[in-house]
Amino acid sequence: MSRWFSGTLATGPAPVLEAMAPEDGWREALLRLAAREATMLEGQVSFLTPELLQVDSLVREAAGTLEDALKTLNKSVLQQHSLAREVQANMSISLEGDDHTGEAASISNTIMGTLDGFVNHMAEISGSTVKLVEQVEDIRERSERMEGMLEELSEIAGRTHLLSLNASIEAAHARQFGAGFAVVAGEVSKLADRSTALSANIQTQVLGTRQALERTDAHVHAIASKDMNVALQSKGKSEALVQALQTSNWIVKDLVTQLEENAKNITQQVGHVVRSLQFEDLVHQTLMACLKELGNLMEQAQAWQALETKLEAGEPAAPALASLEARLGEIEAARVQFRAVKSGSLAAGDVDLF
Amino acid sequence: MGHCILTVDDSSTMRQMITFTLKGANFEVLEAGDGVEALEVAKGKKLSLIITDVNMPRMDGITLVQRLRALPEFRFTPILVLTTESDASMKQKGKEAGATGWIVKPFSPEKLLDVVNKVI
Repeated sequence: MSRWFSGTLATGPAPVLEAMAPEDGWREALLRLAAREATMLEGQVSFLTPELLQVDSLVREAAGTLEDALKTLNKSVLQQHSLAREVQANMSISLEGDDHTGEAASISNTIMGTLDGFVNHMAEISGSTVKLVEQVEDIRERSERMEGMLEELSEIAGRTHLLSLNASIEAAHARQFGAGFAVVAGEVSKLADRSTALSANIQTQVLGTRQALERTDAHVHAIASKDMNVALQSKGKSEALVQALQTSNWIVKDLVTQLEENAKNITQQVGHVVRSLQFEDLVHQTLMACLKELGNLMEQAQAWQALETKLEAGEPAAPALASLEARLGEIEAARVQFRAVKSGSLAAGDVDLF
Repeated sequence: MGHCILTVDDSSTMRQMITFTLKGANFEVLEAGDGVEALEVAKGKKLSLIITDVNMPRMDGITLVQRLRALPEFRFTPILVLTTESDASMKQKGKEAGATGWIVKPFSPEKLLDVVNKVI
């Protein structure tokens, strides 16, 4: 605002008018200063307008660049989500055909459950084998007892044979009276011989049976021992496998967690970009207000130029200045002095629900 | 069927930012550049929410709120004013016109979605 109009333009007479109107010397001075100020104001406005428009253009261009960046960022987020899902899908190996519930933890549980069942089954077999060994041992003992009985039978057969021999001798001593007795003694002797032969034969069979039982016993012991060893070794290997699987699962879980964390960060960044991009609207409104104010300045300058023209044309100073004053009053009254954008930063604004 | 939201702003960047935020939360979004266009777009639509700027050419946001409230189909539709204006007097005008809430620009996506979910 010109220093000549330090008071209120729209109301009351300007002090400068009362002071200078009658004096010709003031007239020349006023002309010089008015021309100078008008030129200055025009120069300022002519400089400021394209500058401000350029700022507006640059801001819009920046907004366009940011928008592209936002789209790229968003695409990256979606891609990352897709990757995370892919990793999860690859790790979700089902053990039940199309049923996609078999994640690594469930696989581990299934393997461990199967192994436990297998080991329990082997333990049951081993238990049965032990019982079998006991049964074999019982048969072997019975076989030994039978051998003892057979020895006794052999002894009886021997004594029977001796008895028949003695009976034959006695029959010989009794001559014709002992003939029938001799026949009986001969038959007893034959029975003793057959009994001895049968006993020997049974002994051979019992011995063979005992040897077969001993071999069976050795085999059963070997099987029982081997069953448990194989089961325990298999369990150990499978546990190691499960452990490796669990470790791999933890690694993938950690990777997925990192991916999700990263996605959250990217989403947060997108939020910042969305908020920051709104500077285009804020700056645009500010610049429009500036341009409006510059238009006012231009009109003021033109009013001053009109005064200059009138005074140069020799018109009386007082009405010319009064006209200028009136025009400036109109401009002042028409001015809408409001700040389009109150916030000086891009921090999120307040929310008020009525 | 999801919620449909109309966003009204003369700045295409603002419209894009609002649309981007709302579509990311699975809302259907319609756009208008000023109050006049907003009334045309809203005609015959079932809108769950309207978000409008204040300073716009042809028809400003406060007038738009008044015009919408005069229509039976939008009498009870939530209307949020999203503007750079933060003066209490301006807010009061919005409230008297029938606005549901007042959000000062710039908005953060998280905050906007929070408010939208509250009023829908």
